[in-house]
Amino acid sequence: MRILLIAGLLAAAAPLMAAEDQVVISPPAEGSVNLETGLAAWDRIYEVASHPRCSNCHVGDSDQPMWSGPSYGAPRPHGMNIRAGDSRIGAETIPCRTCHVTNETGGNDMPHGAPQVADAWQLPPVEADWFGRTSDEICAQLRDPERNDGRTFMELADHLGHDVILHWAWNPGGTREAAPYSLQEHVDDLLIWGVAGMPCHFD
Amino acid sequence: MKLRVNGKDHHVDVEDDMPLLWVLRDELGLMGTKYGCGIAQCGACTVHMDGIAVRSCQLAAADVDGDITTIEGLGTPESLHAVQEAWVETQVAQCGYCQSGQIMQVASFLDMNPEPTDDQIDAAMSGNLCRCGAYPRIRAAIRSAAGKMAAA
Ligand code: FES
Ligand code: FES
Repeated sequence: MRILLIAGLLAAAAPLMAAEDQVVISPPAEGSVNLETGLAAWDRIYEVASHPRCSNCHVGDSDQPMWSGPSYGAPRPHGMNIRAGDSRIGAETIPCRTCHVTNETGGNDMPHGAPQVADAWQLPPVEADWFGRTSDEICAQLRDPERNDGRTFMELADHLGHDVILHWAWNPGGTREAAPYSLQEHVDDLLIWGVAGMPCHFD
Repeated sequence: MKLRVNGKDHHVDVEDDMPLLWVLRDELGLMGTKYGCGIAQCGACTVHMDGIAVRSCQLAAADVDGDITTIEGLGTPESLHAVQEAWVETQVAQCGYCQSGQIMQVASFLDMNPEPTDDQIDAAMSGNLCRCGAYPRIRAAIRSAAGKMAAA
């Protein structure tokens, strides 16, 4: 079994937050996961991907992040007419980081304030489009190298281990609801799903 | 901790999590930057960090990473910044409370995007509220400032 210990990007900059950002990448043995177990892992992955903490920014062609979730009422575009533009970081109008400032000191606990991480806030690439999409649609997308940036499941897990904006979903601060499970459990599910051959329910 | 504000180094003895806005107003006596909401919803507290607009109510003192410019350091009475000049000519201000934040936002926006479309102007400025509703004059002054900067 291969075990990689990945200390998130935060480790050097913010020792306080480093402990909870360590992710162990330890896939089950080749051939040890049956289809049923793989699909069950996928269902949990979908619960995470479709949770507002994740999906609100996965808006595809639109450059408007969404506000949805338990504290928002009906889903609606980010207030203040925010546009991330082609740059996906708001460079054409107002940079995301004007309000979502880069935070190395571990704050980010202000209710109603702009969430902050130790990295420049931004929208994901257009291809990673899954706001409002079904489990089958996202499943097909996530295993398609054309739309997942050419990543294997190991590389997807590694990406999750490193990206501190993704880690924020489980530690969103303020009164925001966290994504389900934990970062480690989500990475484990991705590995189980991967070893099962990245199955989708429609296969 | 050490901060560089308007071209000068300052040593301040503050808690790491004190918002930059408090440092500027209470520690350094720079009162031009205003408090409106404290939660990134109004833009009154906008300053620049290495030229990029940032809401100083959101930035912890220990997270400051770059040179800070406030409205006091954008131009001088003798040599106004093009945005300030356009603001005076257009007589934008009503009560004025929001205006230092508006001007700082515009200065950084036009620096990054010197020829903005009307839609981009609206998108860039929708996070800066004006309770007096000076929005039509703000928009007019932005167009005039963009023209001045292009001609310069
Ligand atoms: S006081 Fe900072 S945005 Fe309102
Ligand atoms: S001029 Fe009064 S709040 Fe804008």
